[in-house]
Amino acid sequence: MKTIRPADIAVGCFLAVLGLLILYAASKIRVGVERALSPRAFPSAVGFLILVSGIGLAVKSWRFRGEDPKIHWPDREGLRVTLISLILLALYIVLMKPLGLPLSTFLYVTCSIWFLKPSKWGTAIVAGLFFGIISYYVFIHLLKLSFPVGFLFEG
Amino acid sequence: MSFSIDHLLQGFATALSLQNLLWALIGCFIGTLVGVLPGIGPASGIAILLPLTTVLPPTSAIIMMAAIYYGAMYGGSTTAIVVNIPGEASSVPTAIDGYEMAKQGKAGPALAICAISSFVAGTLGLVGLTFFAPLLADVAVVFGPPEYFALMFMALTLIISLSGRALLKGVISMALGLTTALIGQDPLTGAARLTFGFPKLLAGIDFISVIVGLFAISEVMVNVEQRITAISQKITHWMPSWADIKQCTGAMLRSTGVGFFLGLLPGVTPSVTTFVAYDLEKRISKTPERFGKGAIEGVAAPEGANNATSTAGFVPLFSFGIPTAPSMAVLLGGLMMYGLQPGPMLFKENPEFVWAVIASMYIGNVMLIVLNLPLVGMWARICVIPFYILGPLIIFFSVLGTYSIRFLAYDVWVMLLFGGVGYFMRKFGFPIAPMVLATVIAQMMETSLGQSMLMSQGSPLILFTRPIAAVFMGLAFLSIGRGIWLQVRYKPPEVALEETD
Repeated sequence: MKTIRPADIAVGCFLAVLGLLILYAASKIRVGVERALSPRAFPSAVGFLILVSGIGLAVKSWRFRGEDPKIHWPDREGLRVTLISLILLALYIVLMKPLGLPLSTFLYVTCSIWFLKPSKWGTAIVAGLFFGIISYYVFIHLLKLSFPVGFLFEG
Repeated sequence: MSFSIDHLLQGFATALSLQNLLWALIGCFIGTLVGVLPGIGPASGIAILLPLTTVLPPTSAIIMMAAIYYGAMYGGSTTAIVVNIPGEASSVPTAIDGYEMAKQGKAGPALAICAISSFVAGTLGLVGLTFFAPLLADVAVVFGPPEYFALMFMALTLIISLSGRALLKGVISMALGLTTALIGQDPLTGAARLTFGFPKLLAGIDFISVIVGLFAISEVMVNVEQRITAISQKITHWMPSWADIKQCTGAMLRSTGVGFFLGLLPGVTPSVTTFVAYDLEKRISKTPERFGKGAIEGVAAPEGANNATSTAGFVPLFSFGIPTAPSMAVLLGGLMMYGLQPGPMLFKENPEFVWAVIASMYIGNVMLIVLNLPLVGMWARICVIPFYILGPLIIFFSVLGTYSIRFLAYDVWVMLLFGGVGYFMRKFGFPIAPMVLATVIAQMMETSLGQSMLMSQGSPLILFTRPIAAVFMGLAFLSIGRGIWLQVRYKPPEVALEETD
């Protein structure tokens, strides 16, 4: 999908399916005692709106005959950098509980900066250490927020 | 509650004592920090500090907590402007033009106009609070569920109309926001809804995860893929010019009116009024096309509305003991902790306390602007930090902010998911603002609609037979009609295909 038109057709079809799924899920909501506004009413209305607007978008775009704006997708290198950055973020979330916030923050910040600018590995380590320590002293030690501390600081 | 100049002067005498001035200053400073730091909104900031204030006399403690509250309201806009992380829903409209200004090297003027607009709106709001509270409190009482529903409905239609000619995409964005907010448990019955058999979804989706994902994460993704070296290459302006301030004067005054009068209503939070104020400015502007591309009035208006609403929230809190926002509920807890029962009797039994707090808010507003204007340069410099450092730090603060909502990794995964949604919405030209507003107000809309139906025994006519509700519904339908007219007036296919955000 290099332009908006086919993207809108695809998104419209996707939304129509999503709308049907929401309508189905809304029909399965337990009603219980009778109320002036059924618990199914609002979800059903929203599902119907998504279904109708999805179909509308797909049809409108299908009928469109004019200059079709381009979508600015990343080049191959941009895609690679974005995907690896997202993987690093996912690892940060996964490792936060077992390693704790300070250590996982150190690893995430260091690796991300080093990945985005390999020549700045010194800056990466210093920034990682700084924000790892900040995350411990400000958010865990000082504000006593319930972030995972990890094995390094347990006990 | 009645106004008395003697009481107000007595209040100023108390608030100007060295001890109370000090606590107000500390409150303003902590509040600004609370607003800037992710993860601690005004409500949690006050809640964390509440036990620490027990060593203070009640008046000093409430002065400090109120200062934290309005300090945080200002501080929240800083991250929205500088790095596109609106920590609160109310900062979303500020981010729209504020971040664009930051990208153009004008973070300084954007931050400064925030401080000035907050000061103007806060002070004018206080004048309203001081002189007109009895009358305004009476108006707030006539607002029932139908009026609330109609108001929220109008706010939604207004924000969709911000999508310009991409109305259909605005509607879809709004519908997706409503769907997101409905996931979880029915607020009345507790029954699972739209969870599709996934037990984790029973926890629902917090709107902060949605906002941070849609704005901050998707922005980082776009910047990373384009190998942006810095949000702004250089800072071209440090402070707004007199022309900028003059240009924003009308926006500040109008947004104060919008924010203050709507803010009197319990349940109408800054997250609604800021959108309404932004929409109003765009509508009456002679150059609406500048909005979304770094219009300085687009920063002044939501900030003014934000502060005016925060100030107006004290009217129902003091007059009826009704908190209008979570942070107000914590403040109410603080008042009760000291044996003060908000309501009409509070003004009769403890006038020295109430008027000292009101007087301290005037002083606090001056403190905030004095404290924050010199810091503008420091915050603005964040924009020129190389993106290979700033990008991971934006992610770090986003993760902190979303994890600390409920201390669940689930909320961070939701943020990541909505980062992806926001990325594709940007690519396909879907406006993001309607989704955010819908996510924030969906539950309130559903509850007030349910209560309205209960009142009318199931007849939706109640929304059109009560005068205030009818006015809001009428305005909403006018807005819808205008949108449809735009669709018909211009070539329909172009409408759907236009990029808007």
